[in-house]
Amino acid sequence: MSEDTGKDSYEERISGLTSAEFARALQTFCDKIEFGDAAQLNSCVHCGLCADTCHYYLASGELEALPAYKLNLVSAVFKNQHTRLGRIAPALTGAQALDADMVSRWVDSLYGRCSLCGRCALNCTLGINVSRLIRLARTTLASVDLVPPELQSTVNTAVDKGNNMGIPRQEWLDTLQWLDEELQQEVSDPAAHLPIDQPNIRLFYTVNPREPKFFPLSLLATAKIFYAAGESWTFSSDYYDVTNYGLFSGDDEAAGVISARLRDSMHKLRANTLVLGECGHGYNANRWEAPEWLAGAYGFEVKSILEIIADYIRQGRIKLDPSRNQKRVTLHDPCNLVRLGGIIEEQRFILKRTVSDFVEMFPNREQNFCCGGGGGQLSMTRFAKRRIESGRIKADQIRATGAKIVVAPCHNCIDQLSELNKEYKLGVEIKTVSEMVADALVIEH
Amino acid sequence: MSPVLLLRLGVVLSAVYCLIALTILVARTFSFGRPPKYAKAKGSATKGIVYAFGQGLLPWEKESASKHLLTFLAGILYHAGIFAAIFFLMTTLLLIKLPDIAIRIVRLLAVIGLLNGIGLLIKRSALPYMRFISCPDDYIANILVGLLLLATILATHYYVFQFVMMAVAIMLLLYIPVGKIRHCVFFFYSRILFGTFFGRRGTLPHPPTQD
Repeated sequence: MSEDTGKDSYEERISGLTSAEFARALQTFCDKIEFGDAAQLNSCVHCGLCADTCHYYLASGELEALPAYKLNLVSAVFKNQHTRLGRIAPALTGAQALDADMVSRWVDSLYGRCSLCGRCALNCTLGINVSRLIRLARTTLASVDLVPPELQSTVNTAVDKGNNMGIPRQEWLDTLQWLDEELQQEVSDPAAHLPIDQPNIRLFYTVNPREPKFFPLSLLATAKIFYAAGESWTFSSDYYDVTNYGLFSGDDEAAGVISARLRDSMHKLRANTLVLGECGHGYNANRWEAPEWLAGAYGFEVKSILEIIADYIRQGRIKLDPSRNQKRVTLHDPCNLVRLGGIIEEQRFILKRTVSDFVEMFPNREQNFCCGGGGGQLSMTRFAKRRIESGRIKADQIRATGAKIVVAPCHNCIDQLSELNKEYKLGVEIKTVSEMVADALVIEH
Repeated sequence: MSPVLLLRLGVVLSAVYCLIALTILVARTFSFGRPPKYAKAKGSATKGIVYAFGQGLLPWEKESASKHLLTFLAGILYHAGIFAAIFFLMTTLLLIKLPDIAIRIVRLLAVIGLLNGIGLLIKRSALPYMRFISCPDDYIANILVGLLLLATILATHYYVFQFVMMAVAIMLLLYIPVGKIRHCVFFFYSRILFGTFFGRRGTLPHPPTQD
């Protein structure tokens, strides 16, 4: 923090942007716009009906959180660059140049008041993909190193160290060895183990590094399910991180580097299916966006662990006893997995066979509310207060169900829900789908 | 050339200009490129597009509509009035004499459209959050369309107002390509893109429950 200006180095960097940097940012903005983006930037009629689809606006009532306002910030620059009236009479259409003031507003609203959850896009009367356009602005900012430093640091760690927590290889292997012993005890089988770098297998399983670091038992839960199903699977000793914060920072290049590692590991292991652990944005990034970042179709299947578990149940490969999970359970739908990912019914199919008292929260499925943890918000500590405030909508939804357990198939969501649990005194347990399934597993030797 | 003929010619020329300008605008939009999609689709883009133009337009499918039914309805009636006015303008230009019943229907739709347009304008002006997201273009577009509706209503009663209607139509047609009314074209692209995006990903139409 500068004593003279009261600004931190990031804010000072914005006010000190050079004309060359503005030109570079604009070039990126124009280069990245595709036909669909241009069409949608010409579409908004400012009907304002998107207002209460946004958890930020609902929770705070701040006008800067309105989806239409956030879209306006992007279309203002587009109009200034690409429409005649926007250049001749900018005030008439709300056009504005990309200057320091606009950059500040982009950072404040497009990084600081949006979790890229896509709820406004789903409900837009015209169908404008607002979150995609907001990410386009983030990409523009990333091109001149204006990603909020805390978020950039997460991306850098993933690029430099191979996973977003910077877990050294030996620590990862030690954790797996310890879990190996735990699994043997858990299933009473000394032959049970967690395979590492096994080639020619069916599934290559990837995880959120928060699991080995803070929640190793959730890894154990999945390993137990694989064991029960007699699955042919493996971990990788080097690249196993399902997360990709490049999706949130907007940096396509870094995002491509991170996702390419999983693709290359698939080739190295000669596996059939890349299985993405319970991570919402990891699913969106690796299933939907990575082939676009890398400009090439994957020659293998990419599936969520939820699809795999649902298949086990359908095929009778695992046996479940729902009476082992007696408490009332509700389900949180991670935006990147459900609305933006298309994994909607699998988790419900699994939970209805895993727990004895399952209740939906409302709204749910693709209309779910974001918990507030997406869009890189968990990394951007400078916006933490807003993140917790925006989570009030989710907290109210949870409270209304009367559930004792909230299941969230996403570790980012779990982190945010844990904070909401404390802040709003919800008194719930928060678990992954795999943990619930593992608790209900009937293992027959 | 008589003033009447001049006005008719003005409407035709401004309509031609409007169409050409919108075509150029769409062509420019296409010039941004459409890179191929590499991710394997889970659902169907076609089904998504069908949903976007069918079931997806129903108010209960979108929270933005279901929570704001009055505004949603006002929007529909406003547009119904606009289409009626355009229809009447075209018959006037082509010297087609409409039966009384048709004129009455046009008048009724235009009146309802105008009232709803005024309502939407008041909403935009009165609510702080609506003012916050609005720019002069929003008001100009609404006022120009409102004037066309008013002129249409009067023209269905008094022949002389047909000239006013044509004069307003010229202004409106010249304004369409530069202002927000260009959404008359981009609406269709947006809905196609919406359907393609959520359709490919398997989010929409709603997948069946797995019980």
